[in-house]
Order: sequence, then C-alpha cells, then structure tokens
Amino acid sequence: MNKELEHSFVEQLQKHQNIVHKVCRLYTNNQDAHNDLFQEITIQLWRAYPKFRGDSKFSTWMYRVGLNTAITLYRKSKRRIQTDDFDAYQFKIKAEEYDSTEEEQLKLLYNAVHQLNDIEKALVFLYLEDKDYREISATLGITEVNARVKMNRVKKKLKTILNP
Amino acid sequence: MDELELLKKDWQRDTIEYPELTYDEIYNMSHAKSSSIVKWIFYISLIEFGIGLLLILLNPKIEGQIEFPKWIEILSYATFPVIAVFVYLFYKNYKNITTTDSVRKLIKTILKTRRTVKNYVLFNLVMAGIFSCVGLYIGYVTTEGGAEKFNASAHFAEYATLGIVIVLITAAIIAFFYGIYYLLYGILLKRLNRNYKELKKLEV
Repeated sequence: MNKELEHSFVEQLQKHQNIVHKVCRLYTNNQDAHNDLFQEITIQLWRAYPKFRGDSKFSTWMYRVGLNTAITLYRKSKRRIQTDDFDAYQFKIKAEEYDSTEEEQLKLLYNAVHQLNDIEKALVFLYLEDKDYREISATLGITEVNARVKMNRVKKKLKTILNP
Repeated sequence: MDELELLKKDWQRDTIEYPELTYDEIYNMSHAKSSSIVKWIFYISLIEFGIGLLLILLNPKIEGQIEFPKWIEILSYATFPVIAVFVYLFYKNYKNITTTDSVRKLIKTILKTRRTVKNYVLFNLVMAGIFSCVGLYIGYVTTEGGAEKFNASAHFAEYATLGIVIVLITAAIIAFFYGIYYLLYGILLKRLNRNYKELKKLEV
C-alpha cells in the first residue's frame, strides 16, 4: 500500500482517536483490555481504509468499523484478569468544576451501562454520540422502528439497574 | 432528567483525558498482527483443510498394506473436486467479511463462513468414516487369512461382532474429532452467537 495512503490514514486516525477510545471505554473494563481493543480497531480500520471512499465522514466510517470490531471480531484474551470493577479503570478527569452528587450519579450510570449486553451498548454509544435513528439502524442492520423499540427497552433496563 | 440525557451531557462534554497516541504509535498499531475472531476461524479452517489433505495423501501408503476395493479408490479421487469447491468457498467467504457492513450483516457473514467450515468438517468425517469401516473390515479379514477363508468359516455371530466393533471404533473416531471441532467453535463463537440472537430477537 502506498505511503501517501498510509500517511493520510494515520493522520486522520490520530485526529479522531477519541472515537476509538470511547468505543473501548464502553466495551472493556480494564486498561489492558482497552489497549488491546484499541489496537484491534486500529488494525481493522487500516485494513478497511483502502475501501473508504470519502462519501461518508471519516468519523462516521470509524463508528461502524469500531463497533463491528468491538461486537463481533474482538476476542477477549484469556490471560487478562476479568474484573467487573469498573472503578479501578478510570481515566483522568479533566480539571473542571464538578458537582460531587452529579459525579456520583454519573459513576453509577457508567457502571449500569457496563452491565448492558454488546448490542445495547452499541445503541447507547450511538445515542451518546448524538446519532439519529436512521444512522443507528444502518449501523446495526436493524429497522428504525426496531432501533427505537430497543432504545426504549435499554432506557427501562438502565432504570431497573439503577433502582432495583 | 432522563438518566441517559445526563450521561449524554457528560459524554459530549468530553471530560475524560484519554492517552493521546502519537503518529508513530498509531502507525505501529495499524501494522500489528490482528487477533480477531475471523483470523482464528481462518487458522482453524486451514488446519482442518491440512488434516483433510493429509488423510488423502496418506491414503496410498495405507493402500499398500491393505488392498482397498476399486470403488474406494474411485471415491478417494472423487474427493478432489469437492475439496477444490471448498477452497473456493473458503476464499469467497473471507473476501466477503468486511468491517464496513452493518453489525448484523457482518455477524451473518462470519456465521456463514463457519457453516462452510462445518460442512467441510462433516464431509471429512463422513469420508474418514467410510475409509475407517472398509479399512477395519479388510484389515481384520486379512489377519484371519483372507476373505474367502473368513467367509467360509464365519457365522452370523462373527459377522455381527465384527460389524458392531467396526461401527463402535468408527463412531468413537468421528465423535472425538467432532467433539474437538464443536468445543473449538463453541468457545470461539459464543459471543457472536449471543449477539446475533440479540439482534434476531428484535425482529419478532
């Protein structure tokens, strides 16, 4: 593959790397797994890049490859210690004014999202990224109606997890 | 406020400081070796393909010790075009796997790939079963002094015992290999099957 292509790929990915970090954040629960998944997504993005025609935004294209890798291709390594202790895996929060009750609530919310299944996480991820139902349904391969139905169920499920 | 709305507000505020990867780090990562499920399926199918081919290549050597009937020989040559079809299908399936498809389509393609591997394994097992049955029968009869001598002295009980032993040994061989196959793919595709079921459930 030519150098120019490689260069433009790495540059674009470097610019949009937070999208990959965000996918990893939802689908993994420790730092090692985060790094592993990040690497696998990068590999898959690079493999798919020659077919990227630029008819969609690079970031939109990244969502699809990233989620596909997290949901279908990525294999959790056995050597890794599996833990549900999400608290132990937190990135530094930028120094900002934070309401401590809100922070506590957010922590509970992120923990609740971690308890969802892979497909539900994808829905939440796309919702958090402010994607409309048309894009959500196209990314997952389900109808828009089903995407809405599932989203409502996810909302209810989150409520149940938070208030058992 | 809706829980998800609160989460969205935080998510979009982008308050998390992720490690900023450099150009070189991303470059190296994109050239690293993948450990994706597709790669594993590909490796396993290659091994299975190799074993199948090995069985056929070893066949003439066994033939030297045991004289197989003509139809078995013809059958073993007839397997070559079938294997060629499988090679083509393997190639076509892997070509079709693309990460830019929807999640549902991607899972479907991967599961189709696995089905081809499964059919190939079944084909090999059936062939192994036929060769094993015939080989065991001829092997036993030869040690008893040849087919004519065995047929002349054998009664129903001998035929039945031989038949049962051959079937049991063949079944054990097939079960062993199928067990390994089942276990391997069961573990590998657990997550994929679960996610596919989850998406299918939405259609009901």
